[in-house]
Parts: sequence; C-alpha cells; structure tokens
Amino acid sequence: MFGIESGIVLALLGAALAVGLAGIGSAIGVGIVGQSAAGVVTEDPDKFGQTLLLQALPGTQGIYGLLTGFIIMQRVGVIGGGLMLDLGMDKGLAVFMAALPIALVGFLSAIAQGRAAAAGVGVIAKRPEELGKAIIYAVMVETYAVLALLASIMLLFGIPLP
Amino acid sequence: MPLNDTGYAYAVGRIRALETRLLDKSKLERMIDAPSAEEALKVLAETEYAGAVAELADVHDFEIILRDEISRCFALLLKMSPRPELIGMMALRYDIHNLKVLFKAKYLGVTADLLMPAGTVAGEKLKTMVEEEDFRDLPGAVRAAAERVVEEFAVNRDPQAIDLNLDRVLFARLLESARAARSAFLEGLFLRQIDLANIKTFVRVKRMGQDREFLKKALLPSGLIPAGRLASLLDEPLESLIAQTAMSEYAAVIGEGVRDWLEKGTAAHLEKLADDYITAYLQWGRRSPFGFEPLIAYLWAKEIEIKNIRLIMVGKINKLPVEAIRERLRHVQL
Repeated sequence: MFGIESGIVLALLGAALAVGLAGIGSAIGVGIVGQSAAGVVTEDPDKFGQTLLLQALPGTQGIYGLLTGFIIMQRVGVIGGGLMLDLGMDKGLAVFMAALPIALVGFLSAIAQGRAAAAGVGVIAKRPEELGKAIIYAVMVETYAVLALLASIMLLFGIPLP
Repeated sequence: MPLNDTGYAYAVGRIRALETRLLDKSKLERMIDAPSAEEALKVLAETEYAGAVAELADVHDFEIILRDEISRCFALLLKMSPRPELIGMMALRYDIHNLKVLFKAKYLGVTADLLMPAGTVAGEKLKTMVEEEDFRDLPGAVRAAAERVVEEFAVNRDPQAIDLNLDRVLFARLLESARAARSAFLEGLFLRQIDLANIKTFVRVKRMGQDREFLKKALLPSGLIPAGRLASLLDEPLESLIAQTAMSEYAAVIGEGVRDWLEKGTAAHLEKLADDYITAYLQWGRRSPFGFEPLIAYLWAKEIEIKNIRLIMVGKINKLPVEAIRERLRHVQL
C-alpha cells in the first residue's frame, strides 16, 4: 500500500493535522475563556459582550489550520478535481512537513492564548474600562500563530507539484 | 504548559465579579464617620447587605446579618468549587470554634455565645454531643480531641484543656489536608497561622507569669518558628524576642504588636497586625486565574469584612471615639 507513489497519503495526513490539531487547540482555548466568562456573567450579566470578545480570540488558530488544510487540498487536487494519486513519496513528505508549523504552533498557542484571555476576563470583572488592555495581552500570543501560518503557506507554495 | 489546571476557571471568574462587591475602604470610613449606629447601618444598606439590613428589626441584632453572610458565602463557595472538600476543610475551624464555645459554656457555666452556622456539623447537633459527652459522630481526630478535653477537665478542672486540645487538632488536620492537596500555598497559610497563635500564647503566658513547662504545653507544634525556640525565650526580656525575630517575616507583628500588648495590656493591636499579616500573605495567591487560591483569599476577605463591620457596629453602639474604632480596623486590600 505504501509504495513509492503513496505521497498523497502523507499530504492528506498533513492537511488533517493542520485542521485537527489547530482546531483542538482553539476548542480548548475558547473553552477555558468560556468557563471564566461564565463565572463573571453569573454575577454580572452586563459583561457578556466584553467577555465574548475575549472568548473569540483563541478561535483564530482553528481558522488558520483550516486555511492551511484547504491550500493543501487545493494543491493536491482534492478540490478542483484531478486528485494526485501518483504523488511521489518525496513530494508528499514535503507537503506534510509544510503543514507542521501551523499544526503544532496552532495547537499550543491557542491554549496559551485561552489562558491569557481567561486572565483578561478577570480584569474585565474588576475594570470593564480596561477591556482594550486585556485584549492586547491575549492578542500578543496571536503573533506566533500568524508567523506559523505564514511559514506553512510559504512552504506549501514553494513545493513544485505537478 | 499544564493543560489540566483550569478546573477553577469558572469559580475564579465568579470570584472576580464577587470581589468587586466587597466593602471598600471608603464605605467603611463612611460607617465609622456615621453619627450613630443606625446611620452606620444605613451605609451598609447601600451594599450587598441591603436585603438583610432591611429585615433587621433592631440595630443590636446586627450580628445576625454577619452570621448569615458568612454561611451564605460558604455555601456559595462550596457550590462553585470543583473540589468542595478544600472549602469544607476551611469550615473545620467553625466546628472547632463552636465546640470551644459549647465546652466553655458547659464547664465554666457561662452562657453560650452565638454559634457559627457555617460549620460542617450543625450547631444543635454539636450542642447535644457536648451535653451528653458523646462524640461518636465527629470525624476521628476531632472526636479523640473532644474526648480528651472531657477526660482532662475531669482530672484537673483546667479550662485550658479546651483550647489546647481543640486548637491542636484543628491545625494538625488543616496541615494534613493542605499536604494531601499538595498545596504549598495552603500549607504556608496554616503554618503562619500556627506561628501567630503561638506568638499570642507566648505573650499571654508571659503576662500570666507562668513557667517554661507551662508554655511548652500550650504552644502548637510544627510552626515555622520552632516551639522550643519560643519557649527558651520566655525568661528573657521581651527585647530578645524582638531582636531574634527582627529579620523574620513577623518583625512588624512582634515588634509593634507584642510591645503594644505588654504596654497597654490589650491584644487588640496584635490581633489586627496578625490579621493584616495573613491578608498580605494571601495576596500571593489571589491573582491566580485558574487555581483555588482566589477562593481561599475571598473567604478570608469576607471574614475580614465581617470583623470590620462588627468592630464598627460594636464601637458605634458603645459610642467609642472614631479614632479608637479606626485604629483597630483591619486593612482592606481589594
């Protein structure tokens, strides 16, 4: 089954990891912020809007993962027809490697961002006027997810596929 | 990065919102400056206590509000904590307090003060236990301690046995559960409370003019300041205790508080400094966004708030000068 032409399997595995790991990270991150926010809103329902903004922040990694997954699918022909069943092992492995930055960084940075945003929810509970500062702390984490997305995309477009 | 420590995220979020409703310094100051107890109560009616104040028939019954508040706070913490046993552990001190009150009422013939409602065993049940001297329903170590109190009092009619045995079992149990929960934060808290209790015992024994053996028996074991070291200082002038602890964390508590007690004959200032010390210690864990530390710190903040309200109300009812109330007021850190 894994012959010299089974590179397509590795390429699709890369797409699955990019969407899957980054998505899991985002789900955990958004979940953590949701718990903190629910605690605050139990006592103070007016804070719903502000805490929702913070909760949305760790969700972006999942989107980056999906974007990377789409690019892989498009490049190997899952989208648009002409699935490259005869993709060489070397090319397939290259696509797989290109997916790793956003898969790994997306997973961990979403959780880290969720923690920072949950702490920010604590700030909102006491000082609602400082929402901007709380968001900035959480957004700092985003930088590294964006860098990883950039690396993944550059790698993907740098691989010459037939 | 730990992934499984976020169990308290909801509880801490809720605590953050609740903390904003604690009485701040300006509210307390307004209560102090109120011309009468009734006026002070009116300030309280603008806060979280509004509902309770509205139902209050007589100013002198303000204690009811405070007791209800602490049990409400406890029930709330128990409900929102994913590990209620950690909060339940904090309720043990109320059981011990209630036992002390009941034993003293029984043996010294004084009328029992109000019992704290937030304990793990209902006050009425404890009352029957003490009356019948049957402690089978208490947890093991506490039961043994209560039985020891009965035995020792029967032998030498010494009311000291009550506080000694019960405090000892309280702190032993607290330390045990802090270690079981692997919480350096809680362990540190209890060790410091042991030290502060020992410092108070030291001064009390010194003022009574008792000897070193007596002190050794009265000190709680396993504090950060070894009991033996405290005992060895008993016969020396107070200055050597102050000098010996000048470099420790208790420098301010001992230097100011103990001196004040020996000079003025009242422990009020030492009690205040000791409470402020614990408040400062708890700041260490209060900001954690996921741990249970903020819950413990909130409980303490509530207890301090209640102490402050009680101080002010008692002061107002007895028409104490404003300055006398203010200097006893516990530090509030929000």
